[in-house]
Amino acid sequence: MKSYDVVILGAGPAGLAAAITSNDNGSKTLVIERENKPGGILKQCIHDGFGIVKFGQRLSGPEYAYKFIEEAEEKNVEMKFSSFVTEIKKSDEKFELKLVNSGGMEKIETKSIVLATGCRERTAKQIFIHGSRPAGVYAAGTVQYFTNIMGYLPGEKCVILGSGDIGLIMARRLTLEGTKVLGVYEAKPEPSGLKRNLAQCLEDYSIPLYLSHTITKVFGDERVNAVEVSKVDKNMQPIKGTEKIIKCDTVMLSVGLIPENEVAESLGLRMDPSTKGPLVDQDLMSVNVSGVFSCGNSLHVNDLVDYVSESGEIAGLGAARYSLRKETRLITFNKGKNLLYLVPQRINVKSENKKVIFYFRVKATMKNVEFVVKLGNHKILKTRYLYLSPPEMKRIIFDLPSDLTDDSELGFEAYEGER
Amino acid sequence: MKLKKIESLLRRKVSKNIVCSEFHSSIVLEGEVEKWDEVIRAGKLAANKGYKGVVNKIKVKGLEIPKMKLPSIRDGTLEGKKFDVLIIGGGIIGSSIAREISKWDVSIALVDKEEDVGTHTSSRNDGVVHPGIAPPSGSKKTFYNVRGNKMYTRISKELDIEFSRKGSLVLYNNNFLKIIKPLIRSRAKKNGVEIYFLDVEQAKEIEPNITDEIKGAFFLPSAGVLSPYKATIAYAENAAQNGVNFFLETAAESMEVKNGKIIFVSTNRGKIYPKVVINAAGNFADEAANMAGDQCFTIHPRKGEEVILDKKKGWLLNSIVSKLTINRHSNTKGGGLIKTVDGNILIGPNAYEQPYKEDYTTTPNGIGEVLNKHLYTIKGLNKADVITYFAGTRAATYEEDFIVEKSEYIENLIYAAGIQSPGITSAPAIAVDVEKMAVEILRNYMSIRKKNNWNPKREGIPLVNSLPYEERKRLIAQNPDYGVIICRCEEISNGEVIDAIHSPIPARSLDSIKRRVRAGMGRCQGGFCTPLIMKIIHEESGISMLKISKKGGKSYILREETKNSLRRVKAKEKLGKR
Repeated sequence: MKSYDVVILGAGPAGLAAAITSNDNGSKTLVIERENKPGGILKQCIHDGFGIVKFGQRLSGPEYAYKFIEEAEEKNVEMKFSSFVTEIKKSDEKFELKLVNSGGMEKIETKSIVLATGCRERTAKQIFIHGSRPAGVYAAGTVQYFTNIMGYLPGEKCVILGSGDIGLIMARRLTLEGTKVLGVYEAKPEPSGLKRNLAQCLEDYSIPLYLSHTITKVFGDERVNAVEVSKVDKNMQPIKGTEKIIKCDTVMLSVGLIPENEVAESLGLRMDPSTKGPLVDQDLMSVNVSGVFSCGNSLHVNDLVDYVSESGEIAGLGAARYSLRKETRLITFNKGKNLLYLVPQRINVKSENKKVIFYFRVKATMKNVEFVVKLGNHKILKTRYLYLSPPEMKRIIFDLPSDLTDDSELGFEAYEGER
Repeated sequence: MKLKKIESLLRRKVSKNIVCSEFHSSIVLEGEVEKWDEVIRAGKLAANKGYKGVVNKIKVKGLEIPKMKLPSIRDGTLEGKKFDVLIIGGGIIGSSIAREISKWDVSIALVDKEEDVGTHTSSRNDGVVHPGIAPPSGSKKTFYNVRGNKMYTRISKELDIEFSRKGSLVLYNNNFLKIIKPLIRSRAKKNGVEIYFLDVEQAKEIEPNITDEIKGAFFLPSAGVLSPYKATIAYAENAAQNGVNFFLETAAESMEVKNGKIIFVSTNRGKIYPKVVINAAGNFADEAANMAGDQCFTIHPRKGEEVILDKKKGWLLNSIVSKLTINRHSNTKGGGLIKTVDGNILIGPNAYEQPYKEDYTTTPNGIGEVLNKHLYTIKGLNKADVITYFAGTRAATYEEDFIVEKSEYIENLIYAAGIQSPGITSAPAIAVDVEKMAVEILRNYMSIRKKNNWNPKREGIPLVNSLPYEERKRLIAQNPDYGVIICRCEEISNGEVIDAIHSPIPARSLDSIKRRVRAGMGRCQGGFCTPLIMKIIHEESGISMLKISKKGGKSYILREETKNSLRRVKAKEKLGKR
């Protein structure tokens, strides 16, 4: 049986960054990717805007991925493609993985695992769309694959449900290719996508955005021929009498992303219901299954790939240093009521990693916000934001106080105005 | 009851506009009413009152019911073709009949209007192999149910159908069962069904996650589960291997009858001349009967909706769990939770009358009703576990019993009609009876003998992901395609998809591949694998990407190549400028 220090599941931006970091730190590293080439979802993201934070450049998805692919290849990081992990078992201090590919079945063992499995799109049925079941209803990512990888357009007249970023990007992409995008319908009172995408993808192309609206019925026998849209109330329930029929042949959904954590769940990792990713410490290691690290969109859904790579580096480093890791003493902290989530969710006071990067989102749009970290009653960090909203993920770096102990009461809060 | 007496009953209880008459020993209802519900009520009131069947022609004012959807192809490929046996309908009934008759050295054709077998009711149900306690003693339903249930032990082996017989647990939450317990026991005895009465503790041994709000349960060990569409496909494939000709996208449209005998059946692909016709047309069996001038029953499509949960929660259930509801007017067993052979939990169905035979739209109310009724019977389930839902229609007659018989009036016509639940369970038993009837009729016209090379065995596509490690390794060594995972949620390989495309009834559409190998049936619902599967279909069968469909006909997935649309837009602009 082949033996590794670190095995990384997924060769997308998170997995590649984790692999390079782990390899750089002297660990025997293997990347397992279920697709036939590296790059993950970036392969189909031919729009630009990737790498502004990390490289100060506006790159396309494939360009951004290529920087990492090239580096991993130069450094001879071992990668297996079209390979699929069917089972992971933890035994004593090691993990045994079974994987399948065209060469057959193989068992390998590793000291630590980095989960970089990305996320999947929420489907029409998961948001309880009803009506008939014709062809022509697709997730935005699927349409992106059709258009950018295969070179095919799904339809002529498209209605988009949900204002997630992929949907906005694809609204522009389809418009450029000659598809008529009739409108973006969002059930929430606020858009889900980034502001820059709303401006660059909808406003610039005069594509209307209808907030507090949803699709209540799909029509069509073989292919979609219309949808019924309705206004929704505060609880996102359709309001009777507001129905409108829109003729179209395509419905594209951009209604949210779900971290892919089936492997994490099979290993029994405790999950955070707000991120739908594992609960981790500042090295991005699971709080209850030692040796399993998580990063990228399987940890929590990011808005920028630059942060996906960053979390890959943290997890890769954590995994590489895993065998050197001393004691684990986790402390939890108070999360203010305006915060939707904070990642990591725990701090290991015994970790050598004292410079902690936190990612967070707020529950609702807030203006003139003070974000504070408190140790007991003392504010030990204070940052101001003019504007915070759920679609925009924020990141702060924070030096752990040297006197942090098991009993330290750490708290994070965000509120409008000053206190 | 006399005709006039029934008529006055219907006029009094439903509508003054109803007129009754008699045809082929059946009672015919005509007139116009306000609501569909009245049509149903009239049909039910007239049923089982001394006539063979109810032919309900009552119309609803202002309601136009769409005609049967027909295939778009129209050619003459079948014109003048002669077959000894013609089966109309490729559901589980038509397919199982085809398989049984294929033992005989006769020519057989099966026509179905869709692009695949089993696309309607046979793929739109829960796949329960019922024990046979629900239908009334003495009915055809009970007779075929109990026999069919037993036959599946053998059939599932012969046809390589996954079949799990883990029993069915019926829960009750008040003490009224004590009163009706003797009734249930005597029904079970009469129908020949094994039954055990359990206390809560015993019930929890079988299903540890059932709700605490129960008083007791009874257990029917003969109940089982299979995949209804895989069973239909298995039957059809075995029939095809034994020489049955499957003509898909072929619809029977009319029949020529002379002197009480069907001479030919017109289809969209030409006239077929059969010696015997078997009507297994499901929801359209009454219309097919009418084509032969022999309509003596009516199918009223009773719709049901069902929900499928993520496999992740599959471990919470072992078998079938339902709650006892006593409702004399209900024609469904009330639904429940079923652990499918694929590992998901399936919930449903509900049941409601509506006029449309092919309307498979789901509704928020229907799905909500199903979830509210059953979801919390098992602890640990919630609405976020839903991955998909669907609807189907039951091909119910007003008599609410199966029609498995030779026509009284047409010498070469056999009915396997009105097959609703427990249709899947009954199919093996119905098929062997219809085989006997067909042989009897054929012997009037020709001498026939059994084939000596009939093969009862069919081998399915390997379930690669469930093979033991070494076996899977060996299989991949033989065919590396079995090692390349295409559908990540269900762990389905390239090789299995290729097998489906080259199977005896070849899969061409995304849905037909789904039904054979489950690719696209998992939690992402095809989000990742749809483009990959399309590529495989294109490479293996040569269909252009633009002609690959979801479910046949014109349900194409893609519209045009990317740069093509720009050329189209530019051409339009040019036209505009001129």
